[in-house]
Amino acid sequence: MPLRARFFAGISRLFVLVGCLVASSGSLLAAGDGGGHHEPLPAFAETIFEIGPLPITNSMIMVWIVAAIIILVAQSASRDMKLVPQGWQNFVEWLVETLLNFFSGIMGAHLAKRTFWFLGTVFILILFSNWFGLIPGVGTIGYEIIGDGVDPHDKFRPFLRGANADLNLTSAMALTFAILWFYWALTEIGLKNVIAHIFAPKGEFKGIMLVLMGAIFLMVGAIEVLSIAVRPIALMFRLYGNIYAGESMLENLMAMVPSYLKWLPPMPFYFLEILVGFVQALVFALLCAVFTKLICEHHDDHDDEHEAQPDEKAAQPA
Amino acid sequence: MPLDSFLILAAETSDVAGESILKKFQIHWWTFLAQLINFFIVVMVLKKFAYGPVMDILEKRRKRIEDGELKLAAVEKQIAESEERTQEMIDKANGQAKRMVEEARESAAAVADKKTQEAAAAAQQIIAKAEEAAKAEREQMQADLRKEFGRLVTSTTAQVTGKVLTDDDQRRINEEALAKVEG
Repeated sequence: MPLRARFFAGISRLFVLVGCLVASSGSLLAAGDGGGHHEPLPAFAETIFEIGPLPITNSMIMVWIVAAIIILVAQSASRDMKLVPQGWQNFVEWLVETLLNFFSGIMGAHLAKRTFWFLGTVFILILFSNWFGLIPGVGTIGYEIIGDGVDPHDKFRPFLRGANADLNLTSAMALTFAILWFYWALTEIGLKNVIAHIFAPKGEFKGIMLVLMGAIFLMVGAIEVLSIAVRPIALMFRLYGNIYAGESMLENLMAMVPSYLKWLPPMPFYFLEILVGFVQALVFALLCAVFTKLICEHHDDHDDEHEAQPDEKAAQPA
Repeated sequence: MPLDSFLILAAETSDVAGESILKKFQIHWWTFLAQLINFFIVVMVLKKFAYGPVMDILEKRRKRIEDGELKLAAVEKQIAESEERTQEMIDKANGQAKRMVEEARESAAAVADKKTQEAAAAAQQIIAKAEEAAKAEREQMQADLRKEFGRLVTSTTAQVTGKVLTDDDQRRINEEALAKVEG
């Protein structure tokens, strides 16, 4: 499965590279053409209004809309569930079953069933947030701030912004995963095994070799700890970067041409962004699944037997 | 601009502390918390309205299919057993039928023999009766013939001789005439 994860990560990097190149060329053209008329897409979600200390940003409104639609669909699907599915039930069942089977293939039936509530939600929320961010009007319908002291290059406030083009949401999901990852690891294999998994030498060594390998694996463990610590940061920035780059690219492509032709340049890239939206959702969920699977793997025979039991138990109802 | 911002971001990331990253991307505790709550609301709702019911229905369907397959296997077994039993019964019935046919054939042959014999006996009886009847008839005819012949002889004799014959004469003439004819 890590091979699959590497494949998707490679694809996503390729998309980011293409996105950055196109976006940068777009920004240069826009700057030359527009003479500063086009406002660059800010790297953060902008505040639309405030409720007490809580700033309500355009990406937050987007999340609410997507969440409301997801909730409506889930409710209408589960209102009157039948053994022979119809309408939304059909779609929701297909989605849930496909995702569950997909994660079961990576993590095993037991772990997949245990972590599905998080992995499934992450995938669904990211996917639909990404796709909803492509609907015309998102990022382009808004209002202008008027008054003294307003930056003339930052007057426009769109009502909606791609939900994952806000690091607050991606970091919320990534940090939640980091905590859950640790919790799942502890409850699946215990603290001793978690530490052994990270620091203990892999293989059987004796004498001086044991000491040498112990020192090497201690250093490897330290690197592994660093890698584990970096994972949520990588997750949040990967998703954010891809989505932000996509939105930025589409906006800059629109700014390259006169107003009556603004629809044309981003047209092919919308298809690319549909794919990127799906791939990023998949990459985020897949990496979470792979990281969880890697730490919850058991190495000795006893643990293998231990793992096989819940797997078999979980496989029965699944 | 995006490439620039990425380069600036990269430079900032490597140079300055996390605080400037938080500022650059405007990660505020309140916003972060609000997004976290949003995410958990979606998680809870999906768990309650999608994953739970869908898993239940998938489990029910799986059980139903499993039960159906078990029932199907049981029905197939029953059908196989029933077919086996039916075949056994058919074989048994065939055996019985063959035996009955055989018995019937034997019995029919016996009956036929008996009937043939009876028929032969009856035919013999009929023949015997017919012979007796023919004999009696012939004797009757002979008696009648004799009687007629006597009457003709006596009549002719009476006409030829011109006298009235007594009963003794008639008897004597008849007996002589018959003795000559039969002699």
